[in-house]
Amino acid sequence: MSVAAILTTVIMWLVFIAGFAFCFSRIGKGGKWED
Amino acid sequence: MAKAAVRERWASRPLFIFAAIGSAIGLGNVWRFPYLTYEYGGAAFLIPWIIGLIIMGVPWMVLEFGMGRFFQKSAPGIFEGIGKKWEWLGWWPVFVAFLIVSYYTVVMAWALRYVISSFNVAWGVGAAGAEGAVPYYLENVLNISDGAGVLGGLQWSIVGFLALTWIVVFLIVFKGAGVIGKVAVWTVTIPWALLVILLIRGLTLPGAVTGLEYYLSPDFSQLTNVEVWFAAFSQIAFTLSLGMAGMFAYGSFVAKKADITNSAFITSFANCATSFFAGFAVFSTVGFMMQALGVPVGEVASGSSIGMSFMTYPVAISMMPAANALIGVLFFLCLFFLGIDSAFFLAYGGVIAPVMDKFGMSRVKATTWVCVIAFLVGLIYTTQGGLYWVDMVDRTAAFYGLLITGALACIVVGWGFGAAKLREHVNETSDIKVGAWFDWLIKIVVPAGLVFVVIVGGFMEDVPEAYGGYAVGTLSGSHIIWIILGVTLVLSFVFQAIKTKGVSGE
Repeated sequence: MSVAAILTTVIMWLVFIAGFAFCFSRIGKGGKWED
Repeated sequence: MAKAAVRERWASRPLFIFAAIGSAIGLGNVWRFPYLTYEYGGAAFLIPWIIGLIIMGVPWMVLEFGMGRFFQKSAPGIFEGIGKKWEWLGWWPVFVAFLIVSYYTVVMAWALRYVISSFNVAWGVGAAGAEGAVPYYLENVLNISDGAGVLGGLQWSIVGFLALTWIVVFLIVFKGAGVIGKVAVWTVTIPWALLVILLIRGLTLPGAVTGLEYYLSPDFSQLTNVEVWFAAFSQIAFTLSLGMAGMFAYGSFVAKKADITNSAFITSFANCATSFFAGFAVFSTVGFMMQALGVPVGEVASGSSIGMSFMTYPVAISMMPAANALIGVLFFLCLFFLGIDSAFFLAYGGVIAPVMDKFGMSRVKATTWVCVIAFLVGLIYTTQGGLYWVDMVDRTAAFYGLLITGALACIVVGWGFGAAKLREHVNETSDIKVGAWFDWLIKIVVPAGLVFVVIVGGFMEDVPEAYGGYAVGTLSGSHIIWIILGVTLVLSFVFQAIKTKGVSGE
């Protein structure tokens, strides 16, 4: 694969991982499940 | 509108998120997204796609979850709560959802039919299979007629698999959100596992790297092309299962003190990560087909989910050097599982929950009625002319219906209910607080984006030229689209006019 395609793959997965990491790090900071 | 009894609840937050992810992930993630990425600049396409997700997809999802949680009702009850004159705007997406699930389950029935056909690769192996895949689908499976105006007879094998699909949907939804969440864990993770298997198979085929080059190589000059932004925003509009009433209901099952925004972010990211991942499985196989058949990428890849699923991928299965039958079975099972959670989302969140709320029907009764009527309506798509009607109704509901009702909902919520009020409501209990920018996204950006897509991708194409070249008597494909859309709008006002005083749910 070309360098550009590999870079795209790596960057996109980093974006997703960063997004998930942010979301999961926030769990419990505001909402509670039970009423 | 009936007064709500104690609202049913998701058993846990993860189960709610799994159910929402399952509803969002469908065939479009596997076929449409990878194709658009290849078509519109490879990696460059991912930039407007991510921007569209953040400024349009996530706020729209927060709106639907948040309004559902605020009113503790499904779509019609929410809009009635905003103002009695708006209840129809809650019913319109309900009819949209009904239309979509009526044909979506037929596509799943085709997938089940192919699971059986795959055991002996009934369309052929090797070069014979490559030539036989399309005729097998059109002639053996569909027995397709000459046009939309020629319905012909029912295809009984498809009718049988359609009935089976609806029985599965009924068994999942008749006990409500508690069971739906538990089932969704499986219907989300099984397709993920199957996609991993298909990816491994794809990557080990000759030519796979060539396909991935087409998928990912960036062409940043495309970013100045309006069509690329249109494609990215339209993909976001279609991929999250918004505008179909169901997410309002799913939001209404969320506990009053539970998070909204973080769940919307996780659902959206998971949906989009699945799309990106599926692209590797698809384009590694596309590269293999290009090499095996000696054809350019344009002759292999297309944005049609049905065409790629039932005409193109079977060719790849035929040409594979080994394990053709196994890959065929796994692939079509993957399609079925990708579809089933979208189907029970549309059926339950989209239609059954609103019917229960309005008419105070028991869940079992409402589920039975909806499943039976949707099955009967779905029979039209099992006729010899069914494929043409799937295409027209898909254009009506999953394009026009979804976008128009979505845009109107954002406008009424943003300006009528108040975007700031919604923001304050979700911020009270959410893990991620949204700022005042959210208000403007809901009031202007999201509806403008949806209207942009419906005008550029819809009216500008279907008004000057008849959609799909279809003709039913003197009516063209476009006429039929406007008629169905108009009928659903009228029905929405009829349902608004019906007075009820029952108590919903159980």
